[in-house]
Amino acid sequence: MSEVEETLKRIQSHKGVIGVIIVNTEGIPIRTTLDNSTTVQYSGLIHQLSAKAKSVVRDIDPQNDLTFLRIRSKKNEIMIAPGCEYLLIVIQDDRGK
Amino acid sequence: MFADEVLEGVNFISTWKKERHLDDQQTQTGELLVEDQGVQSYKCRDEGVQTDEEPKKKLRMAEDRSGRLSEFLRDVEPYISKQLINNLRSRAFDGFDVGWDDETTGVSCVHTLSSPIATGTFQVTGLSWNSSGSVIAASFGNLEHEDWCTHRSSLCTWSIGRANMKEDKPETTLELDSCLMCVAFHPKNPAIIAGGNFNGEVLLWDLSREDDMLIATSGLGEDAHQEPVSKVYWITDAKGKKIYLVSASSDGKIIQWKIDRKAQKLLPKDGFMVMAQSLPRRMKVKGVRGDKEIGVTCLSYHSEDKDMFLVGSEAGVIFKCSMNSQGPPAGSQVSSSIPLRSPVTFTYNPHHGPVYAVQCSPFHRNAFISAGMDQCIRLYSILQAQPVLTIEPGEGYIHAASWSPVKATVLAVTTQSGCLLLYDLKQGKTVPVHKLTASPNKLPVYACQFNPQQTQLLATGDGGGYIQIFKLSSNLRTSTGRETEYIGNLVNVSAEQ
Repeated sequence: MSEVEETLKRIQSHKGVIGVIIVNTEGIPIRTTLDNSTTVQYSGLIHQLSAKAKSVVRDIDPQNDLTFLRIRSKKNEIMIAPGCEYLLIVIQDDRGK
Repeated sequence: MFADEVLEGVNFISTWKKERHLDDQQTQTGELLVEDQGVQSYKCRDEGVQTDEEPKKKLRMAEDRSGRLSEFLRDVEPYISKQLINNLRSRAFDGFDVGWDDETTGVSCVHTLSSPIATGTFQVTGLSWNSSGSVIAASFGNLEHEDWCTHRSSLCTWSIGRANMKEDKPETTLELDSCLMCVAFHPKNPAIIAGGNFNGEVLLWDLSREDDMLIATSGLGEDAHQEPVSKVYWITDAKGKKIYLVSASSDGKIIQWKIDRKAQKLLPKDGFMVMAQSLPRRMKVKGVRGDKEIGVTCLSYHSEDKDMFLVGSEAGVIFKCSMNSQGPPAGSQVSSSIPLRSPVTFTYNPHHGPVYAVQCSPFHRNAFISAGMDQCIRLYSILQAQPVLTIEPGEGYIHAASWSPVKATVLAVTTQSGCLLLYDLKQGKTVPVHKLTASPNKLPVYACQFNPQQTQLLATGDGGGYIQIFKLSSNLRTSTGRETEYIGNLVNVSAEQ
């Protein structure tokens, strides 16, 4: 377990990272560094979005698959790394650079 | 002997009975008009409504059962890390400004405020927005005195955005018996406001109180200032917990005050004295004592280093000062219950006239601006004596200069000619992006304040006693991300030359 925590800590320590969430296939958070309400919101919504994005990529070409999803917004950037069983969400604010 | 005799009846009229006369008379009442009207009473019924409290979504954490979490993370971490680092270096979105919700491209005046008792007779000497950004306070006073100050000036506030706000009628007016030279709202409590007057007294009011709003005063005397207070400033201590009031004055003193609410007094906690010995050598005048005071006109605290502050003086010199400085003590001619010492640690290349404004950049730790009577705006690096940029707008004296609280390259200055100039250093260093008239009668504009909460608002106050509230366009208040870096380059590159 400690390896997981260490990895999360490493990701969190990058400049501008606001939070890291790991979500399972049902959209339920497994690990989070954010507060409760934000975690619930992000994990539910992002899970849906990434499922949709995955299905879009697969519908276009059944041989293809979604590997990474980035959302750039006015305030921050959300990076989503989908896996078979998990979804890693990292929120970064790169404005302070 | 007996004979029939008929006696005549005798009539006499009753003295009390009156004969009745009967007369026929007709009377007629006006015809009664009758009309039918339908009326209907309302039926009322009470019904209770209640919105259900939205059930809070509970955080439910799932247990990781598969045990392949660390495997997944091991796979994905290098890539995520690479992206996170790339993202910081990326310039892909530079200059990609999104302005979908940009309804205003120009800067416009939305309110012109005036006070029935002060406008026309007094100048606006200071402005301050409260901590919530909804109330603007203006201090009124006369900047020119040939004699004792016997003016009856005032402090007025308006609630901007409130529906029943009247532009020509302040929400609160405090009448004062001496000219008020500066005001500053408390940084946390929206009702507390401090001010300093011409006699050297520092005052503290609570605007939420009904009757006597004055909650503390420094009084007059040797612990207070001996000259007009030029600036009041709220500072937080290094831990960010306690908040103190600092005042500066033309008598050279900078005093940090402790508030004693019970005694309604402001007690000096720490004090400094700016003295002639801190002047650069070529500005020293022979025969003037080294401990002669230098009048302080403005001061600004550093945004990160809470002990550092900058002071602008009547002599034109800008001093870098430290709260921990152990400079030489003030001369014996100054009487004070607390020891006064010189706070000066460094001296910048002076202006050619009194400095009216100095402000540290809220974004970059090494940048600050100053402006003054010599008509220039200067951008300095805290680390070097020479200014890195000088702007001469040619609009007369510059009475106020201020950084935008939201966009690192934007600054506003107000001039003697009654103008408000808005600069975006990234768009043009020497040409203002907006030049607006900020005084109805083209009088000098003495005060200028950005609203730190409602960032689209900016207030100016002029010599005629009018306060104007401007609405800024969104390109002046939305940061695109590289402004701080730009200011940093400006300050550092020039430093290398």
